[in-house]
Amino acid sequence: MAELSLHHIDKIYDNNVQAVYDFNIDIRDGELIVLVGPSGCGKSTTLRMVAGLEDISNGQLLLDGRDITRVPAKDRDMAMVFQNYALYGHMTIYENMAFSLVLRKEDPNVIHKKVLAAAEILGLTSQLNKKPAQLSGGQRQRVAMGRSIVRNPKVFLFDEPLSNLDAKLRGATRREILLLHKRLNATMMYVTHDQTEALTLADRIVCMSMGHVQQIGTPLELYDSPNNTFVAGFIGLPPMNFFDVVFENGALRGKGFEVSLSDAEKAALADYNRKEIILGVRPEDIAEGGDLPVKVFSNENLGMNTLVHGRMGDGLRVSAKLRGWSDYKAGDVVSLGFTRKHFFDKETTNAIRKGDR
Amino acid sequence: MMNEQSVRLDRMRFTKNTTSSRLAILAIVFDVLYFVSLYKINVDYYYTLIMGASILYNLVFMLAAFLSSEGVKNYKQSYSWVLCVLGIIQIARIFILPVPAHATTLTVGGAELLAMSDGQFVRVIVYLAGSAACLFAAAAVNLVKSRALKAHIASLEGQQA
Repeated sequence: MAELSLHHIDKIYDNNVQAVYDFNIDIRDGELIVLVGPSGCGKSTTLRMVAGLEDISNGQLLLDGRDITRVPAKDRDMAMVFQNYALYGHMTIYENMAFSLVLRKEDPNVIHKKVLAAAEILGLTSQLNKKPAQLSGGQRQRVAMGRSIVRNPKVFLFDEPLSNLDAKLRGATRREILLLHKRLNATMMYVTHDQTEALTLADRIVCMSMGHVQQIGTPLELYDSPNNTFVAGFIGLPPMNFFDVVFENGALRGKGFEVSLSDAEKAALADYNRKEIILGVRPEDIAEGGDLPVKVFSNENLGMNTLVHGRMGDGLRVSAKLRGWSDYKAGDVVSLGFTRKHFFDKETTNAIRKGDR
Repeated sequence: MMNEQSVRLDRMRFTKNTTSSRLAILAIVFDVLYFVSLYKINVDYYYTLIMGASILYNLVFMLAAFLSSEGVKNYKQSYSWVLCVLGIIQIARIFILPVPAHATTLTVGGAELLAMSDGQFVRVIVYLAGSAACLFAAAAVNLVKSRALKAHIASLEGQQA
């Protein structure tokens, strides 16, 4: 398979709009990298630049050490799976999967073997004589993947492949992609705006916003140690709660509430005495039995957990994911506590970690 | 592990019989050429009841040949027999109009003329014979392929059982 390197990649359109700023990453052989971020953050543009569908304005793209920055898409040995499947409606599944190889004038017997092998991997053997219109969305997406597999490319590129599927099918197809990655051990780049896809699929995640890379790391790193408030707010569902607080006398004072800190937390904030910072708390890091009174205004039972929305202090909104089944009514007051806290610099919005300053 | 011959047979499970289908379409093209050429015939001879029948048959032929081309595309054996019948009729048509027309002399404006000239006669014979040949070839190819495919599928089912 392949190692892919993006060095100082920029994308500037003709109207001087810059979509991607200084993108850097070295993708290891067999690694699955997920580009995640909100709409318009530049993740699809980056993928299209890698595929050769967009010109690279500045920077260098290397595949196995070979500079392919200016190499045409057809010569890059990469296969792309699109959101809308891009299947030929008048062709059968077999013909769709074989099409790229037919264009390359490969031996029909070799094509046949490759298509059957890919269909076997994807569980499409019984569907080969059907037309795309006769298949479900998930099956169509598998056909699109099969069309990539038969080419045996060095790199697989996925551009929001599950966005057209319903929630249940999305989960099933996501697992199939994961199994496919394990089976093929292929280098893959995957674009999504869905953090669940990113967290479940990725070996490493690239979180992007406004064309800038915010953080590159394993799913756990992004969840556990977000670089800034953007990553902290984007990764995790429901999103992290943020409060403006002042670190004073070993405690955090917010609007109408006060939170005590452990010695380790105090040490991490040693340079921020009497300064305003942002306190971040994930909903799942809030538990019943603390000393923060929260007035409930909404209670959503999710089965294993209950999502409680309320207000604390001077009306600050807070969401908590409590374990088990709870039946709080609007107006109930529940005592909650923060079991884990994240701190961010108020000015830069970057995470405050011990030894950062 | 399949050998090359088995792979070639197995491919037919997912690919169309385009050879037979294209031959049947070519037969339609030859028929159209024949029909168009026929209009150069001396009109006094052609303006008979046979003209209407000829037009109607051409329509029927084109429809039947086209449907058969779609049938053989999917290795359906029965359409081979339809193509054979259409081929036999194409041969028969040589003797229904061109041969009598070529043998008939008409007096037009005091001059003696053949209803169908030698050159035109050769052309229409080539077109009809070409059409018939394409139909027979399409039928034969389809018969061979469909039988081979049938046997291959039976052997696959036998292996699965």
